[in-house]
Amino acid sequence: MRVIIADDSVLFREGLARLLEGAGFDVVGQASNAEHLEQLVAAQRPSLVILDIRMPPTQTDEGLVAAKRIRHQHPQVSVLLLSHHVETHHALELLGQSPERVGYLLKDRVGDLSEFLDAVRRVGNGGSAVDPLVVSQLLGRKRSRDLIDDLTDRERSVLAQMAEGRSNDAIASTLKISPKTLEAHIGTIYSKLGLEPATAHHRRVLAVLNYLRSS
Amino acid sequence: MIGGLRRAIQAGILAVVVLIWVAYVSNPLHFPGLAASPPTYWLKYALPGSAFATAGLIAWWLRPRNRVGVLMVGVGFGLLIGVGPHPAFQSPISREIENALFNWGPPRPGLFLSLGSLWVAMLFQLLLAFPGGHLTSRLSRWLVTSLYVFVPLIGVLEAPGGYGLDQSLPVWYAPQIASLLYVASPVLAIALILRRWLLGGLARRRSLSPVLWALAPITFALLPWTLMNLLVPIIGKPQSGPVSSVIPTLATVSPLLLAALPIGFLVGLLRSGLDMTSVASLVVKLSSGLLPEQLQSALAQALHDPSLRVAYWVPALDSFADLEGRPLDLPTPGSERAVSILDDATNPIAALIYDASLLHEPQLVDTAAAGVWMALENARLQVQLRAQLEEVQQSRARLVDAGQRERQRVERDLHDGAQQQLVTLLLSLQVTKAEAIKHADPKTAALLEANTEALKQALFDLRELARGIHPSILTEAGLIPAIRSLCERSPIQVEVRGDLCDGRLAPSLEATLYFVAAEAITNAVKHSRATHICVSLQRVTDRVVLEIADDGRGGADISAGTGLRGLSDRVAAVGGQLQVESDSGGGTRIHTEIPSHDG
Repeated sequence: MRVIIADDSVLFREGLARLLEGAGFDVVGQASNAEHLEQLVAAQRPSLVILDIRMPPTQTDEGLVAAKRIRHQHPQVSVLLLSHHVETHHALELLGQSPERVGYLLKDRVGDLSEFLDAVRRVGNGGSAVDPLVVSQLLGRKRSRDLIDDLTDRERSVLAQMAEGRSNDAIASTLKISPKTLEAHIGTIYSKLGLEPATAHHRRVLAVLNYLRSS
Repeated sequence: MIGGLRRAIQAGILAVVVLIWVAYVSNPLHFPGLAASPPTYWLKYALPGSAFATAGLIAWWLRPRNRVGVLMVGVGFGLLIGVGPHPAFQSPISREIENALFNWGPPRPGLFLSLGSLWVAMLFQLLLAFPGGHLTSRLSRWLVTSLYVFVPLIGVLEAPGGYGLDQSLPVWYAPQIASLLYVASPVLAIALILRRWLLGGLARRRSLSPVLWALAPITFALLPWTLMNLLVPIIGKPQSGPVSSVIPTLATVSPLLLAALPIGFLVGLLRSGLDMTSVASLVVKLSSGLLPEQLQSALAQALHDPSLRVAYWVPALDSFADLEGRPLDLPTPGSERAVSILDDATNPIAALIYDASLLHEPQLVDTAAAGVWMALENARLQVQLRAQLEEVQQSRARLVDAGQRERQRVERDLHDGAQQQLVTLLLSLQVTKAEAIKHADPKTAALLEANTEALKQALFDLRELARGIHPSILTEAGLIPAIRSLCERSPIQVEVRGDLCDGRLAPSLEATLYFVAAEAITNAVKHSRATHICVSLQRVTDRVVLEIADDGRGGADISAGTGLRGLSDRVAAVGGQLQVESDSGGGTRIHTEIPSHDG
């Protein structure tokens, strides 16, 4: 999978590139700012761009702006946004109306290598990844707790993993349950929450996030 | 002049006036000329003369320092003894006096006439120097000086028995010089007075108007005669008809009309005195204590100049300042605005800035200024205090702003420095761990894994620290997303109602409002036992209003804890207000209003 990395720290870029190459990814470019990144994307046509939200010159949300523009101009390119802080606001803004080929993770997630690589692959293959912190914050709210009051603990774990953008297979293997059992859980969740069943796993990310955020 | 001596002179003058009247009425010395003339003949001099002398005495008594009174007395005497400006107008009594006083020794033709008619020059001086008593323009000084020279000269030259009209006059002298002088001078004088009236301020006009009214009758009586005299050399002397009879009659009675003038002068003088009364009432007002603004309008009223401004000396600014304490430049000399600076021995206190027309009333301005001196010093201290307050407010706002910038800088440094380095370290631990696993070294891999966990905890702590210092979402997305993010972390349900029309505010404002919301929500979670918090944020014209209300037990006190107190100070520093309503059992409502500046 062809990847471009954008971050203003060369050490981080190099470290991440080494990690990704060790896992079989093909890092085809590195950029230290949004402008250079967009030139590289246009030239290299990568499958995936991994970028930091804060980049020069203002060190605020250049990465978010660049991510949205790349998604608009190159719909076939997947975008994974990294940040030292995660915010629901940014997550929803990035996901927009189409949660395909997009991810938003805390930078610290590189510390869980397999989880991180799983998310990178998921986004690169057209899926989505939402940081567990965003999901847990949404689930932890009083309003959300009221909404999901009827769910069992197991069902809540399933809901959280759905919101993070995981596929059924991934959820089943993480929770060590059979795909059949998982599907039963998902059906119960949908009926308890009154949600429209969504087939594609990345579609249901938005449905669940918006449901949890409604207040 | 010493008061006693002055009063003695005044009494003496009064006695002489009475004596002259006695001479006119009963003729005790049996002057033949006086006995032969009818009372109408001398009344036309004696009446205006005594009016001038009496009014002059009153004026002198009321305004001892103003030479107007003395000049009026002088004019009065000239008229009383009946010396005309020309031999043709000489009264019987003046001839008698001349005979009695000067008909001895060598003949001095016209000497009495020339000295006696100096009152004409005095009258012009009076007209042009009224009401201050000083000739202010160069033209008026020139005119009055030439009258003092030429009037006696004409008396000498044209007196009967002197050089006389029928005798040989000096080659350079023509009788027309007298006519020209007596025609041109009144015209010029009236023009000068009118000019002074037109250019003068309200106070000046109040004084001059009565004089102008009093001048009108004699002007209209003498004007035809003057014109006729001018035209005689050209068109010849009219032989009959109203022109030949009425005009000379009018001219003959014209001295009588002069009697109106002293009344005009006296009224004018008293009216300028009324301005002194308004200054006096200003001083009375001061006793009740005036604010700087009220002092300014009271001064403007007393000096009849609504445009008057008071500027106060503020040593800290090394400049004069207006009522709000802002530095102010004084108008330059020669402009339409005039300045009087008041000072004590060492320092300026205040400056009065007023219409330049008031320069004609230096006495009035000085009197008013002297009256308000103490109040001005008082007001200056108030203005100085305001200037200092303004400075303190600005410096407080700068401090808060600097503090805010500093927090933002620290957060950025943490983000770009420690956080980034730790994440990079985390990455390299992962790479190392992968190597260890590849080389079948599970012990090292386990150690590295433990380090990874410790590092992740450090990153978590650092992230929370950075958020507390300055939440990055505030910079990245603005106040409403930041407050929503705050609410998402709250264990109590928080409802956010906000409308800033997607507009961003100034960074210090956003930060202030954010920390108000954060502190209020933290307080509610910790102390209020509330189940619901409502945060509303809206822009009302030029203000941003933030309100945080909970349904808890209330009883929050702004003066009790440092949290609310600090927030209130911080809000005040950006020019806003924070109010806390927290009745026991009735929930807590924190209402903050800050003037908004778009960021």
